[in-house]
Amino acid sequence: MRKTLLFTGVLILACLFFTGLVFATGEKGAPEVSGPAAEKIIKVGFIYVGPIGDMGWTHAHNQARLMVEKLPWVETIYQESVPEGDTLSTIERMIQQEKCDVVFTTSFGFMDGTIDAARKFPNIIMAHASGFKRAPNVATYMADFYQVYYLNGLMAGALTKTGKIGYVGAFPIPEVKRHINAYTIGVREVNPDAEVHVRWIGAWFDPPAATEATMALIDEGCDVFAFTEDTSTVVEVAAKNGFPSFGHYSPMYDASPDYVVSGQLVHWDVFYLRFLGLVYSGILNSGNLENLDYWGLLREGDVELGAKPGMPVNPAWIGRLGDTHDLVLKRLEQMKNPQMVFDPFTGPLYDRKGNLVLPAGARADYLHLLTIEWAAKGVVGPWPNEP
Amino acid sequence: MELQTFIIDTLSRALAYGTPLLLGTLGEIYCERSGVLNLGVEGMMILGAFAGFVTTYATGNPFLGVLAAAIVGGSASMIHAFFSITIKTNIQVVSGLAITFFGLGLTGVLGRGWEGKPLDASLPIIGSPFLESIPVLGPIFSGQSVLVYISIGLALILWFILFKTSWGISIRSAGEDPEAADALGVNTSLVRYLCVLTGGVLAGIGGAYLSIDYRPSWTQGMTVGMGWIVIALTIFSFWNPLAALIGSYLFGSLFYLSFKLQPYLAPELLMIMPYLTTILALVLLNCSKTFRRRLGVPAALGLPYNREEK
Amino acid sequence: MGFRIEKNPAVPSRMVVFSFSVLSLFLASAVIGIIFLAYGINPIRAYTDVLSKTLGSFYGLSEIIRKSIPLLLCGAGLLLVFRTSFWNIGAEGQILMGALAATWAALFSNFPDFLLIPCLFLFGFIAGAVWGFIPTVLKSRFRISEVITTLMMNYIALYIVLFLIHGPWKGKTMRGFAYTDKFPASASLPLIGNTRIHWPTLIIALILVAAIYIILTRAKLGYEIKVISQSPKAGRYAGISYFKTVFWVMIISGGAAGLAGAGEVAGIHHLLRHPNQISMGYGYTAILVAWLARSNPVITIMTALLMAFIFVAGDTIQLSFGLPSQIVNVSTGLILFFLILSEGMMRYRISWKSKEG
Repeated sequence: MRKTLLFTGVLILACLFFTGLVFATGEKGAPEVSGPAAEKIIKVGFIYVGPIGDMGWTHAHNQARLMVEKLPWVETIYQESVPEGDTLSTIERMIQQEKCDVVFTTSFGFMDGTIDAARKFPNIIMAHASGFKRAPNVATYMADFYQVYYLNGLMAGALTKTGKIGYVGAFPIPEVKRHINAYTIGVREVNPDAEVHVRWIGAWFDPPAATEATMALIDEGCDVFAFTEDTSTVVEVAAKNGFPSFGHYSPMYDASPDYVVSGQLVHWDVFYLRFLGLVYSGILNSGNLENLDYWGLLREGDVELGAKPGMPVNPAWIGRLGDTHDLVLKRLEQMKNPQMVFDPFTGPLYDRKGNLVLPAGARADYLHLLTIEWAAKGVVGPWPNEP
Repeated sequence: MELQTFIIDTLSRALAYGTPLLLGTLGEIYCERSGVLNLGVEGMMILGAFAGFVTTYATGNPFLGVLAAAIVGGSASMIHAFFSITIKTNIQVVSGLAITFFGLGLTGVLGRGWEGKPLDASLPIIGSPFLESIPVLGPIFSGQSVLVYISIGLALILWFILFKTSWGISIRSAGEDPEAADALGVNTSLVRYLCVLTGGVLAGIGGAYLSIDYRPSWTQGMTVGMGWIVIALTIFSFWNPLAALIGSYLFGSLFYLSFKLQPYLAPELLMIMPYLTTILALVLLNCSKTFRRRLGVPAALGLPYNREEK
Repeated sequence: MGFRIEKNPAVPSRMVVFSFSVLSLFLASAVIGIIFLAYGINPIRAYTDVLSKTLGSFYGLSEIIRKSIPLLLCGAGLLLVFRTSFWNIGAEGQILMGALAATWAALFSNFPDFLLIPCLFLFGFIAGAVWGFIPTVLKSRFRISEVITTLMMNYIALYIVLFLIHGPWKGKTMRGFAYTDKFPASASLPLIGNTRIHWPTLIIALILVAAIYIILTRAKLGYEIKVISQSPKAGRYAGISYFKTVFWVMIISGGAAGLAGAGEVAGIHHLLRHPNQISMGYGYTAILVAWLARSNPVITIMTALLMAFIFVAGDTIQLSFGLPSQIVNVSTGLILFFLILSEGMMRYRISWKSKEG
C-alpha cells in the first residue's frame, strides 16, 4: 500500500515536471525572435583554463572579455576551468549549441584540441593563446612580459640592501625562465653583484606553497620579491615582513599599497579588440589566419609596467629608487619606440655557466626567446633542464 | 649558529603552516574517537575560511571572523552528524564527501568578487622582549599568531579530556563499543553529535586561520587539499591529540623544507618528500613494538549505532 | 508527544529504492532551482535548456557516456574493495600510474603497431594494480592504515608524473612546455563515429562490471568477500585470510583504475600532461559512484552515468547562463544530500507516538 502510494507520488511529480518542460519550451522561443533587419552580430566564445576569480591569467582574459563585450556588434560567452582534455568538446558545444562565430582558446594546453576543432569546423575563426600550431582558421597570439620584468629588475637591483632578490616561480618552463632571465639582466645592470634566488612551487595556483617559498627566501636573506603565481600571496607575505615586491599579472597595488613597487600588467583587450575589428570588417577570415602569430610587447601596448594601470611606479617608492627611476623611464620609452631601440636580450650575454649564449650586438630572436632554457648570470638556485 | 638559525626558521614555519592542520586534526580526532568518520574536513575548512574572511572584512574584527568560521564549520558538520547519527546511514563516506563538494562549490560561487580584497584587521601576534630572550624557543614562538598558541593549548586540553576524564571515557567508549557505552548509561548519540560538532568548529577555525592570518585574503579553493592531509594526520597521530602536535608540525617542517632545501636537492624530489616521509615514518614506528600496540582504530569507526538493534 | 525513528523491518524493494532515488533527484533539482532564481534565471527554462542540450542531444549524450567511462572503471573496482572494508581512496593515484605506464608503452616501447593498444591497457592495468597492491602490503606487514597510504600515494603519483613531464619525458616538439610528445597514431584508441567515445575502454569497463558481478555472485573470491564483509571474525573461523582477499581485490580495483588512466591518455589526451588534467578527480568521484551503487556492481553503470550527467549538465548551464563553474560542485553536494536522506528514509520510518512504541 505504502509502495503504491509512493510510486504514484513520484509519477505525479514526474508528470508535473514534464508538463512544466513542455510549457517552458512553448514559451521559450518568444523573446529570442528578433527582426530580420538585425545588425550583424559576432558571437565570441572564450575558453579559460582556470577560474575567472583568481588574480592571474584567466582573470586577465576575462577582464578583456568584459571590455570586448561593450562593442555593440559583439556578444560573448565563456567557460571557466575547462579541462585541457575537454578542449574539442567545449569548442564543439560553443559552435553547435551556442552558435559562436569566433572562439578564443586561452591556454597552451588547448593547442591540439583547437587544431582538431579547426579541422572539424573550417568556417569558424579561432585563435589560440601562447601556442605555435596554426591553421587557415587558427591564429596564435601572446602577450609577453619579459621587457616588463627587465624594468622590474632594474628597480629590484636598486632597492636590495642584502644583494639577494627572491623569485617564486611556478614551473621551470621557458616562459618563466625567460622572465627570470630578463629580471636578472635588469638587476645586474643596476647592481652587478646582486643575485636572484629562485624557488619553484610546482603549481600555477597554490597560496600555501607560495607563502612557504617566500618565507624560505626571506630566511635566506632576500629582501625584494617577484613571482609567477595566480594570487597576490607573495606580495602579501613580503609586505607582512616589511619587504617590497612586484605585482604579477593583475593590478595588485591594492593588496599592499605601501610595499608594491611596481609590477607587470597585461591588456589582452588590445589584441582581442584589434583581432575582432579585423574580423568584423572582413579583413581576417577563416582562410587567412595560417601566418598570423601575434606577439604583443610594450610597443604594442599589450603589456604595461606597474601594479595599477597608469601608474608605472608606486609614487611612495620613486624617492627610494633615486637615479634608477629615470633609467626605468628611459628604457620604457626605448622599448615602446616603434623601432624598439632597446631590448634586454641583446648580446653579449653569457649564461651562469659562462657560455656565450648571444654574441655581441645580436638580439635574441623570437624562437630563441620562446625556447629559452639557459639561466642568466646572477640566477641562484635549481634550474631543471639547464643546458 | 648556522644550524641553530636553520632549526629556528624551520620550526617557526612549522608552527605557522602546521596550525590549520593541527586544528583540523584535533577536531577529526574527536570525531573519529566517537565513532564517526567525516571526510568533509576540506569542505568545512573552506567554508570556515570564507566565513572568517567575509566577517572580518565586514566588521573589522578578526575575532568575530573566527567566531563566524566556527559557527559555519560547526553547522556544516551538523549536516554530517544528522546523516550519520540520526538517519544512521551507513554511507558516512558519501555524506562527508558531499560536504566537501558542497563547501568547495558554495564558497566558489559566493566568493566571486571577494578575491583580491585586502584585510586590514589581523589577529594579534604574541611577542615580548622576555619571550624573545629565551634561547631557541623564543625566536620560534615569538611573532606567531594568537591562534597558534590557542591551538597548542587546545591540544593539551583535548588530550586531558580524552584520556583523563570521564567525558573522555564516554567518547572513547562511544567509538569503541557503543553497546557497552549505552549499557553504562552514556548517551551515545549526544556524545557523537558533540564530537562531530567539535570537529566542524575546529576545522572552521583552521580555515579562518588561513584566510585571516596565515595569508590574509580570500581565493576560491585556497585550502588546496589541506583537509585531506588532516584525514591522514588523524590516523598518523593514532587518534591522540598530543601526537597530533607532532604530526602537524612534522608535516609543516617538511613542507617548508621542500622549498628551503631546493638549492641542494632536486625540487621534484623535495615535493614528494612530505608524503613519502609520512609513510616511511609510519613504517619505522611500526617496527617498534611499543608503538605497534597502540595502533587500534576506534573499533566502531564509521558504523552507525542503533539502540533497537541490540 | 514526540516522535521516534525506528528501523523499518522490511527490506526496501527495488521499486521503493528506485522511486525514492528519483524523488530525491527531483527535490535536489528544486533546491538547485532556487539558486537559479537567485541569479535571475527561470529554473524551468534552465532545466529545459539543460535537458535538451544533454539528454536531448546526440552530442550531450555522447559526452555523458565519454565521461562515465573512467568513473565506471574506478567505481566498479572500488565497489569490490569497499565490500571488504578496505578504504581505498587512492584511485586517483592509480589512474595516474596507469596513464604513466600507458604513456611509456606508447612513446618509448617498441611494440609492433598491432600490439600497441593491447599493451597500453596491459601496462596500465599492471601499473595501477601495483599502485593498489603496495598499500595492502604496507597494511599487512606494518599495519599502516590504508587511508594514509592510498591518500599519500595519490600525491606521490602526482609528483612522479610532474617530474617526468618536466624532466626526462618532456616532449621535443613542445617547445619547452611540460607535455610529452604526441602518441603515434597506432597508440590512439578508435572512436565511435563523430563522438569522442573511445569504445575499447567502454567495452573493457562493461566487461569489468560483468566480471565483478560474476565474482560477487559465483566465484570463491566473492564468497570470501561476502563472509568478510559480514564479519572479519567469521572469516577467520572459516579459514579465509583477510589480507589474501584484500590483495586480490586491490589488484582488481587498482588495475581497473589503471585501465581508466590508460584509456584517458590513449583515447582523449594522446599525450601525458599535468596530472590534474588527466585524473580530474575521477578517483574521488568514483568513491561516490561505488557507494551510491549500494554494493551492486550493475548499478554502478547508472551511478557513473548520473555523475557524468551532473558534470556535463554543469558545463552546459555555465555556458548557457554564465553561472560560475563551481555551481557543479554545489549541485553535486545537494544531490548527494538528498540521495543520502532518501536512503535513510527508506530504511527507517518515523512514528508519531507518545513514548514507548
